Formats: sequence, structure tokens, C-alpha cells
Amino acid sequence: MAVITLQTFFIALFGIAALWFGVVVFRTSSMMRSALALLFSQTALGAMFLAMQAEFLGVLQIMMMATEMSIMAIFMVMFMMDPGGLGEMDMTHQKRLSIAAGVIGALAVSGVALFAHWGPTATVAPAAAEQIRGLGTELLGRSMIIFETAGVTILTAMIAATAVAMPVLQRKKTS
Amino acid sequence: MSPLALVVLAPLAAAAGIPVLRRAPAMLALLGAGAGLIASLVLLAGASAGLHAALILPGLPDMPLRLVGTPLTALLSTLVAVVGALVLIYAVGYMKQDDEKVRFFATMSFFIAAMQTLVLAGDWILLLAAWELIGLSSYLLIGFWYRRPDVASAATRAFLYTRTADLGLYAAVFLLIATTGSSEIAVTLHSGAGASVAVGLLLLAAAMGKSAQTPLHDWLQRAMAGPTPVSALLHSATLVAAGAILLIRTAPLLPPDALLAIGIVGGITTVVTGLIALAERDLKRLLAASTSSQYGLMLVAVGAGVPKAALLLLIAHAAIKSSLFLGAGVFQHSRHSTRLADLHGAGRDRPWIFAGFTLAALALAGIPPLSGFFAKDAVIAASLASSNARLLAPLALAGTLLTGAYMARALRILWQGKRRDQPVAGLRWMGAGLAGLVILAIGLGAAFPFIETLLATPVPEPALARLLGLSAALGGLALGWFIPGRRLLGPLLPWARQGFAIAGGVDVWIVRPALTLARGCERLERGLYAGVMAVGRLGLGLGRAVRRSDDQGIDGLIFSLVRGTVNLGNRARTLQSGLIHRELAISVVATALIFAVLFVTLLAF
Amino acid sequence: MSPDLLTALIVGAGLFGIGLYGALSQTNLVMIMMGVELILAGALVNLVAFWRFLHPESYAGQMFVLIVMTVMAVEMAVGFGVAIARFRARGSVEMEEARELKG
Repeated sequence: MAVITLQTFFIALFGIAALWFGVVVFRTSSMMRSALALLFSQTALGAMFLAMQAEFLGVLQIMMMATEMSIMAIFMVMFMMDPGGLGEMDMTHQKRLSIAAGVIGALAVSGVALFAHWGPTATVAPAAAEQIRGLGTELLGRSMIIFETAGVTILTAMIAATAVAMPVLQRKKTS
Repeated sequence: MSPLALVVLAPLAAAAGIPVLRRAPAMLALLGAGAGLIASLVLLAGASAGLHAALILPGLPDMPLRLVGTPLTALLSTLVAVVGALVLIYAVGYMKQDDEKVRFFATMSFFIAAMQTLVLAGDWILLLAAWELIGLSSYLLIGFWYRRPDVASAATRAFLYTRTADLGLYAAVFLLIATTGSSEIAVTLHSGAGASVAVGLLLLAAAMGKSAQTPLHDWLQRAMAGPTPVSALLHSATLVAAGAILLIRTAPLLPPDALLAIGIVGGITTVVTGLIALAERDLKRLLAASTSSQYGLMLVAVGAGVPKAALLLLIAHAAIKSSLFLGAGVFQHSRHSTRLADLHGAGRDRPWIFAGFTLAALALAGIPPLSGFFAKDAVIAASLASSNARLLAPLALAGTLLTGAYMARALRILWQGKRRDQPVAGLRWMGAGLAGLVILAIGLGAAFPFIETLLATPVPEPALARLLGLSAALGGLALGWFIPGRRLLGPLLPWARQGFAIAGGVDVWIVRPALTLARGCERLERGLYAGVMAVGRLGLGLGRAVRRSDDQGIDGLIFSLVRGTVNLGNRARTLQSGLIHRELAISVVATALIFAVLFVTLLAF
Repeated sequence: MSPDLLTALIVGAGLFGIGLYGALSQTNLVMIMMGVELILAGALVNLVAFWRFLHPESYAGQMFVLIVMTVMAVEMAVGFGVAIARFRARGSVEMEEARELKG
């Protein structure tokens, strides 16, 4: 029996917001606005996590994406020299294929979501403190190797990104 | 350097140096021969003073090679050196207009060196080697004008005849070494054991081959195909003399039966070849037959048990016969022929040469006081004194008679006829060589007492022998001068013209089988060659087929594989546009396809 | 079947579709990265929804969310590294011009 609760309402609301801003990302002709739209979309997503009672993840999402997207906005300005989106320019290609792929992909995933047999759903979520404790126990217990691997991966990516981005030094040719 | 070594090495050095320098070959050869002559004279002086030089060279284990300077060998060596030197002097003139002086003088020097080795050899091994070397060099010299017709076949014939007879020497030498255990000739001679009749007969066979005794006399006359100096050297002191020298040196060893056989062979030869000489129509062939005849006389002397008489005749004959040949060579140059029919009156053209020729001819016939008289005397005396006098003496006398007859015939032909003066190149050199030899032919008789004392064996000379010998010689000369040879021979003439070929002669029995064998070998070899070539061709064909199959089979397979891979790569290349959106689209579509396939399989199963 | 779960899943599917379209259609490297971010965001929504409505007692779902966030961070870092290098070399991050990898 489907029960439309306040939780459902908020989930749908923030979900629609996330979708709306997602569409806006590719609809504006300004890089800056695209980046801001993505920021809003991700933030709406974070709010959706909060609505789904995943407090830690929601807050984390909002914080991470806020920083990430602001960096992205700075880069966009830096690369494109287009602060206001004043120019009308088309920056897309193979549009038809892309639209088809996006629509078909979304429909296929929705189909799976609709027609899959998900089994019984839980109604009550653990308390926030309990969640944090459980997640910490999980991270430093069973999944420790994965967690550590993720950390090392981030470190490696940082070093690699720095190395790639550094200007090529004019070294003296020895020998 | 020991004179012993120098005797051999001087001409050998000339033989080696002439083809290397290729310049002034005649002078080099004369230099070598002169040095050898001086060395052999030194050797002879030493030997007459009682000095026995010997030189031991490393050879086979326990059988060293030896050169010895006994009175006999020193005397023979001097003879070879003198005749060789004089013939070379003559050859300087004779070969003046020949293109291949280098080859000629080198071979001549080598010939002299080989003969000196043979004469001085102190052991059987070296003697065998030298024996082979003179055979080889005589083959080369007889075939010197190898481009002329029949010359090559004459050389081959001489080689085959002497080679066949040489087998006897090999067998004899091996028997002697086996029985006495030493290869030294002196040891063998003085071992006292004596030799069997078999050894004697084998040695006789070898000597018959080299000295052209009946029935192996045919090759010598054909050997006239070579240049005249070669004939002179061949007949007087070297090749032909080798047979007689061998028998003279081994005479003390031989049993009476073998000696008798030697005497009979020599006697028959002297008569038979004397008759051939009477019938000859060619001056050089006449002289060649005469050579066989004289060596027959020498064998009679050996058979009579007096080898020293044979030695005297050998020495005298060496000088006489070489002067005769040299004279004949001059006549040959003046008339460009050696046929007696062409030589009528040739003597009148060159009286001095003819005088020398006549003196030599008279010496050969045995007219006093020329050298031949003393030598013939010794031989006839020996035959009379022998135990088989009844058999040997008539043969020796008949030989003497025939000698006079054919020499008189030759003289008459040369004197009678018209003069046809033609210039002869190099006459001065030829005359010098001839004069030296004629002087020797005349005066050697005076040296005989010295030789007899040197060898310490006086030769019996009864008055009867002198009388018989002189009358035979004079009778022969008279017969030859007054009656033509043709009438003299009567019914024997055709047979004598064929060289008294017995049942086709040795030709049928030795030469033809050998040549047939050689031809058969050649055919066999050709067959083998063809077989080998066929195998090779088969291999080549196989290889070509394999290559083709490789090219079109394996290679083709590999290349088509390569082409396929390259094409695939090229096709895959078009996918690699390098554009990120294109690549992304491809990966999205591919992922969608994979999901579709998974979904379909999920539904189907 | 809970409408909450369905709503969340459909939101995820929509984000995925939008992201896919963006990644395929944009010519700018940073815009492509935005598309990829949206796809990953769709995955995040799904993961959180699965945890909340199907297995709230297992925190492996939440851990998975953390891992996907890590992947997003890594993607951003490396992507911007590449973009800076590209900009240094060519003065542009337009991917139409990047044909060096053509086979």
C-alpha cells in the first residue's frame, strides 16, 4: 500500500530540483551558470539525502560538492573567459545521438526501477548517532582495506594531477 | 758445401731458378751445369786420391738417403756433367729460334740433376726416386713439342714402356732390402749373400726398359720426336744409360744364370737393332737403333762378367753418340728434316760438321786410335774370355760388324748428293758443343788406362780380340759403304722396317692394353661424373621445388595472414578517430549492446 | 513497493540520462566532466535510496557512497590536471581540436 508521506514529498521535491538544475547545466550558454547549476543540482541531491534520513552523507555531499563546483566554476572562467554568458554559441555536437542515448538510458534505468521486484521496504531508519557509529565501525572494521585503498587512490590522484598540470621545466640536457 | 751436394744442387738450382726469373734461361742452365761439372771434377779428383765422400740425408726411418762418391760413381757423374754441359752449349744454338726456351732449359737442368742423383745415389730408395725423376723429365722433354702430331703419343709410349719395366726395379729393390735388411747399395753389394736369379732377372727387366733392349726397343726410336739435344742427352749419358749403369753397379751381386740371361738379351738386341738401323729411313731413328745396339754390346760385357768393359764402352759411347746426334741436329736444321731421303749431300754443305760426324762414326765403328776402338776391344775380349764365349762372342762380333755397316751407310748417304746450302741459326754454339764432344770421342781412349787404374781392375786385351774386332769393324764399314742397306738385308728388310715387331710387338702387349684401360677408366669416370652431376641436378630440382612450395605455400600463408592483420588494423584505425566524444559514443553504444544481450539471455533462459 | 524508493530511483535514472547526454554532446572538456559528475550523482542517489529503503541495518551501502564520492573527487582532480596541461599546450580545452590520439 503506497503511502504518500511528508518524506515522500520532500524526496520528490528535492529530486525534481536536482533534475531541473541538471537540465539547466546543459541549457545555459554560460560556463559560469553551468557550474552554478551543477552546484545547485548537487546540493539538492544532498538535501534529498537528508530527506532520506542519511544525515552524514547529505551533509558530506553538500560540503564536497559546494567546494568542488566552486573550483569548477573558477576553472570555467579561467579557461573560457566567459563570465556572463553573453555570447550565443553552440558548444555541442552529435546532438541527436546524445539525446537518444540520454533518453534511452534514462528510460531503461527507470524501467528497471519500475519493474524490478525490490522486496519489502524498511520503514524505520537508524538514528543519526547510531548511523555514524555503524558507519565508523564498518569503515574501520570489515571494509577497512577498501577505505584505505580509496585514501591512497586520492593521494595518488593528487600527485598525478599535480605532475600533469606542472609546466614542463626547461632542464639542461645532461650528457 | 760438399761437392757431392753441389753436383746435384747446381743444376737443380738452375732448374728452379729459370722458371722463376724467366730471363736468360740458357745462361742460367749453363751456369748450373758448369758449377755441377766443376763439382764433379773435384769429386773425381778426390775419388782418385782415395777419398770416399759420402753424404747422409734424412730419409725413411732407419733408411737414410745417401749420396756416395766412390770412384765408379764419381766417374759416371763426371761423364754426365761433361756431356750435359756440352749438350747444353749446343742447345743454346739449337734452340735459338724456339719460343719456349724457359721450359726447355729448366727441364734439361732438372734432367741433369735427376741423372746426377741417380748416378751418385748410395741407397736404393734414392735410386728409385731418381729413376722415376729421369723417367718424368724424359717424358717432358720427348713431348716438348707437344703441339706437333704424334709427339704426345711418342712421349706417352716412352713413358709407358719404361714404367712397365720399372716395376721390375721396384720388385728387385724390395727383394734386396728384404733379404739384406739395408737400403744401402754398398751394404747390399758386399753382404756376400748374393742375389737370387729372380732379383737378377727383375733388374734385367728394368734395364731392358730403360736401355731399350729387345723386345722393348721400340720406344727409343719414337722418342726421336723430341728436340735433338734431348735425344743426344737421352741416348748418351742419361736415360738410356741408366739401365746399363744399374747393371754395371749391381754386377758383383748377380748369379751366373742371371748374367747369362743379361748377355743373351744384350747379344740379341745388338744384332736385331743393328739390322733395324740398316733398314731405317730416318737419320735420328737410325742413330736411336744404333744406341740400342751399343747398349746391347754393353750388356754382353756385363753378361760376360766384365762390367768394367761395359763401363768403358758406356763412357766412349756417351761422347760418340752425343756428337753424332749433335751433328745430325745440324743437318736437320739445314734441311728441316731428318729423313735420309732429304739428307742426301747434307754433309757437303757443312764439311766441318761432317768431319766431326765422320770421326764420331768411325769411333763408334771401332777404328783405332779413336776411343771406340779400345772400348769395343774390351767388350770383345770380355766375351771371348767368358765361360759362355761360344754364345756371346759371335753376337758381339756381329754387333760390331753391323755397327760398321750402318754407320758407313749413313756416311755415304750424307756425302753423296747435291749441295743445298741453307743458313743455319746458332751454328757457332752448336759447333762449339759438337767440337768438344768430338774431341772427347777421339781422345777418350787415352784416358782408359787412367780409368782402369782408378777402378783397379785391368781389362784383358788379347791380340785375338783386337784382330777380330778390327776386321769386323772394317768389314762392316766396307759392306755399308759399297752395298746399299736394302740389298744387304734381303728378305729381312720388311720385317726390319717394322722394327722386328714380334706378334705386333710390345705395342700390342703393353701399350694398347694400357691405353685401353686408360680409356675405360676415362669412360667410367665420365659415367661417374654424369652420375654425380645427375644427383646434383636432382638436388637442385628438389631445392627449387621446395623453394617454390615455400614461396607459394608457407610464405603465401604467412603473407596472407599478415595482409589480413594489416587490413584489420586499418579498419580498426578508422574507429580510432582520436575524438573523445566519438570514442565515448562508441563505448556507450557497445555497453548498451552488452546490456541488451545480457537482458535477452536473462529472458531467454 | 515504497513510493519513496521509486521516486528516488527515477530521480537517479533522470540524472543518469541527463549526464549521459551532457557527456556525449559537449565539446568542452570541463562540460564533459560535468556530465560525468551528473551520472555519478545518479548512482549516488540510487545507492542512498537502496540503503535507506532496503537494508538500513547494513552500513556497506553508506560506505559505497563514500567510495563513489572518492571516485568523483579523483575524477575532478585528474580531469582538471589534464585540462590545465591541455590549456598550457594549446590554449584551449575544446575536444574537437584534440586529434593527437587518432590511430
